[in-house]
Amino acid sequence: MAADPARTTARPGAAPRRRRVRPGAREERRFAALFLLPAVLLVVVFRIWPLAWGFWLSLTDAEGLAEPNFIGLENYVEMAGDPNFLASMKNTGILLLTLPVWIMLPMILATLIHLGVPGGKLYRSVYFFPAVLSSVIVGSIFNVVLRYDGALNAGLEFFGIPALDWLGNGSTALLSLITVQLWATFGMSLLIFLAGLATVSQEMIEAARLDGAKLWALWAFIILPSLRPIIEFVAVVTTIGVLTNMFGLIYVLTAGGPGTATTLPEFLIWLEQGQMNRPGYAAALSMVLFVLMAGIAWIQIRIMSRNSGI
Amino acid sequence: MQPNDQYYTLLGTALSSGQGPDLFLLNGGAQARARMDALTDVTASADGLVGLAEFESPEGAVMALPITIQGFVVYYNKARYEEAGLDPDAPPQTWEELVSVCEAITAAGEVPCFSLGNKEGFAAEFFLSAIAASTLTDEQHSAFAAGDLAWSSPEISEILSLWVETNDMGWYPRGANSTAKFMDEYEQFMRGDAANTIGLLSDVAHWKQFEDFLGAEGLGVYRHPAPDMVSDHPMMPVAGGIGYGVNAASAKADLALELAQTLAAAGPIQTFVNDAGVVPANTMVDTSGLSSPAAGTILGWLDGSSAQMAHANVTAEELAEWHRQSQLLLNGETTVADAAARMDEVQAAAHGG
Amino acid sequence: MARTSHRERRLLRILSIPMFLLALTCVYPIFFSVNNALKTNRNYILDRFGVVSDFTFDNFVQAWTRSNLDSYFWNSVIVTVGAVALLLLVSSLAGFALAVLRFPMRKLVFIVILASLMIPVQVVLVPFYQTIIGLGLLNTRIGLILSYTAFFLPFSVYLMTAFYAGLPRELVEAARIDGARLLQVWWTIMLPLGKPALITLGILNTLYCWNDVLISLLVLQDERTLMVGIAALRGEYTTNVPLLSAGIVLAAAPIVILYVVFQRRIVNGIAVGAVKG
Repeated sequence: MAADPARTTARPGAAPRRRRVRPGAREERRFAALFLLPAVLLVVVFRIWPLAWGFWLSLTDAEGLAEPNFIGLENYVEMAGDPNFLASMKNTGILLLTLPVWIMLPMILATLIHLGVPGGKLYRSVYFFPAVLSSVIVGSIFNVVLRYDGALNAGLEFFGIPALDWLGNGSTALLSLITVQLWATFGMSLLIFLAGLATVSQEMIEAARLDGAKLWALWAFIILPSLRPIIEFVAVVTTIGVLTNMFGLIYVLTAGGPGTATTLPEFLIWLEQGQMNRPGYAAALSMVLFVLMAGIAWIQIRIMSRNSGI
Repeated sequence: MQPNDQYYTLLGTALSSGQGPDLFLLNGGAQARARMDALTDVTASADGLVGLAEFESPEGAVMALPITIQGFVVYYNKARYEEAGLDPDAPPQTWEELVSVCEAITAAGEVPCFSLGNKEGFAAEFFLSAIAASTLTDEQHSAFAAGDLAWSSPEISEILSLWVETNDMGWYPRGANSTAKFMDEYEQFMRGDAANTIGLLSDVAHWKQFEDFLGAEGLGVYRHPAPDMVSDHPMMPVAGGIGYGVNAASAKADLALELAQTLAAAGPIQTFVNDAGVVPANTMVDTSGLSSPAAGTILGWLDGSSAQMAHANVTAEELAEWHRQSQLLLNGETTVADAAARMDEVQAAAHGG
Repeated sequence: MARTSHRERRLLRILSIPMFLLALTCVYPIFFSVNNALKTNRNYILDRFGVVSDFTFDNFVQAWTRSNLDSYFWNSVIVTVGAVALLLLVSSLAGFALAVLRFPMRKLVFIVILASLMIPVQVVLVPFYQTIIGLGLLNTRIGLILSYTAFFLPFSVYLMTAFYAGLPRELVEAARIDGARLLQVWWTIMLPLGKPALITLGILNTLYCWNDVLISLLVLQDERTLMVGIAALRGEYTTNVPLLSAGIVLAAAPIVILYVVFQRRIVNGIAVGAVKG
């Protein structure tokens, strides 16, 4: 069964020292290195090195164009007393609480399309449209839909529900923003789930059907377990997405307000970097965001792996 | 042209990599001050220009040449005044008159007295400067800029109170915190759905744009009155609007300076004045060709009615915090005292306290 | 889906109603953009939601000429096609290695790639820009292609890894029993099996590259990509929404048309990958 037995027996002296090398293991290692080289090279040069540089910057007082001086952890200490940062963390917490919806909604929709809901083919292409359009268009539309004298309030008043300033009210602004972003991006996750559903064995579904399995049982015992790696992927990528890709919409819809109600870390970083011209402090904020995302991703992966018994 | 939301991010990236443009555009005030270190002293080329204060270094050197003058006045819709039984040719001159104008318009019930867009906090910025122009002395303006006059001082916290009171008196439409000043607030005014708006002198949201919609005869203009004014008439806050600075690291600094001078010179500005409708920083420009009655009125105020623009004098940190606090004040989520206290903290920190 | 019971078919039909309403909201922005692109700015201000009454194609003409869309368009096409091709190649190789092969430090490599997905873009701008200059890639299309590849690679590698990890391992083992070398396994088994994920990645990455403004602004300064040209149509304070809408319609049209035209193939491609077993 060895792919290349000649190689493993070529140096018999090596074998007794370790456990017997799995046949083809060396080839596997060599190819793995070869296959990964381009990816690792690109990532290290364009992403990891700039990150290290950013970490150094976060330890300096870089402000304006003056020569940055090393100040240790001062930026991080300042953060602890910065109400805007604390507010952005609170908003992040609220945002993260909505994560299950970001994952469940496209997953359920994709499953329904996969199971042949009437009109599924049409939905598949149409759901993707908002993702194609720039946040400026999405923002322009929802600005007018959600404003005080806008379409939503007009509709609610028709049913006797009092009007609200959805984007201007501290208690509704963040949820409104989140809903719009969810609407604008769920098409992408949907597409990924559809690809993942293609790996679910049709035969198993057929067999279960013959055994009289109900729709929900099919979903819970066959589809869901097969989708686990994809769910993990969508969970991690969505978490990162909501924390790093919402700038466009915040900028157009709420500009971080009212007060700090929709100030997310990403927006604060932009504010400190571009508007306040404080790259050192912005870098420190970025490091915190980075660690936060890495931590959440780690937890998500741990949960998924434990469930899958790997 | 660059996408605006990332302009200063990109400029900063380029400058700190030693790759900045030879000549770059800056907004007066905080944004210009934050980048002084990257600029060449251009004082020698500033003759005949007004609105320099915003581009001056702490030592008083001119670091960028302003192209336009920026400032705030109140524009009003004469038809709306008439409907409310007001004399369309006698705009308010005192605070009491303004209050009764707004009472009349609110009573007429058709439109709000002022359109207001405070999503980015810009309406609060404009309000602060419009009131402060008439209530602060030059010395107080300078003290406020230097961080010596606190936000909790009677002079400034009075402005914060007025912001809340005018809202309580029902001057503004609901939902101001979700309305963009540019251009939702102004579009509302242009549609005739508000009686007044605090607008600009140059570039956008100004006489030229409003006249396009309301007609030259339908648009009126006045200086924002305030209670307890320093002078016997309201003042108009003015400042240098947009300026060009020369990159100190530029290898072609001479050439860049020449270009900046050309851009600020009377000739090119004249074209700009006529086409776009700006109030030029260069006093040598012939503005007699302007047909707009509102523009004529404004030009008459430049000399003798100009005051400093308070919001453009404060630090970027204070401005950002004022955006936030002003929204909380409108929503009733904070009090004037708490807001002023928070502003004091930011002011002290920004001035190295 | 074969053999759904009568009750379940009815359930699916009922569920289709909210799905249809959601679909309507997703179509609306396209109507909104096209409708506004045909309005004059004045009419947009006076009536935002009304159906266009004073048709004008000026906005399209202006957007096209003022932002040099004709020359920017080809920049975008070249850069997007190059980057997406490179992304698919590199990520399917890496995903195969990470999901299927056994080698030391596999976890570490995976963690590094995953971590690079989480770096906020604002903080790496300056060092990234300096790296581009240092490598002599400033103002080159190849520089932008490599930048896009680097920025969207972590996501792509991660998706390919997740996808391949979901496939039964026996498939690979079986091929190797037949004596296939790894490169062959990748080419004859992993690439065809990966089709659903690769097609999805192709779509998403095309979208990311096509719509990007920030990276392109930094790397390609002399010339521009389409979206940078469009983004520059926004004024400092004012946005001429009809003009911008025209630009966005022009920029989004190729993507939407491609997606709709190849919809059948995309769907088939995704379904073909379905595993028998």
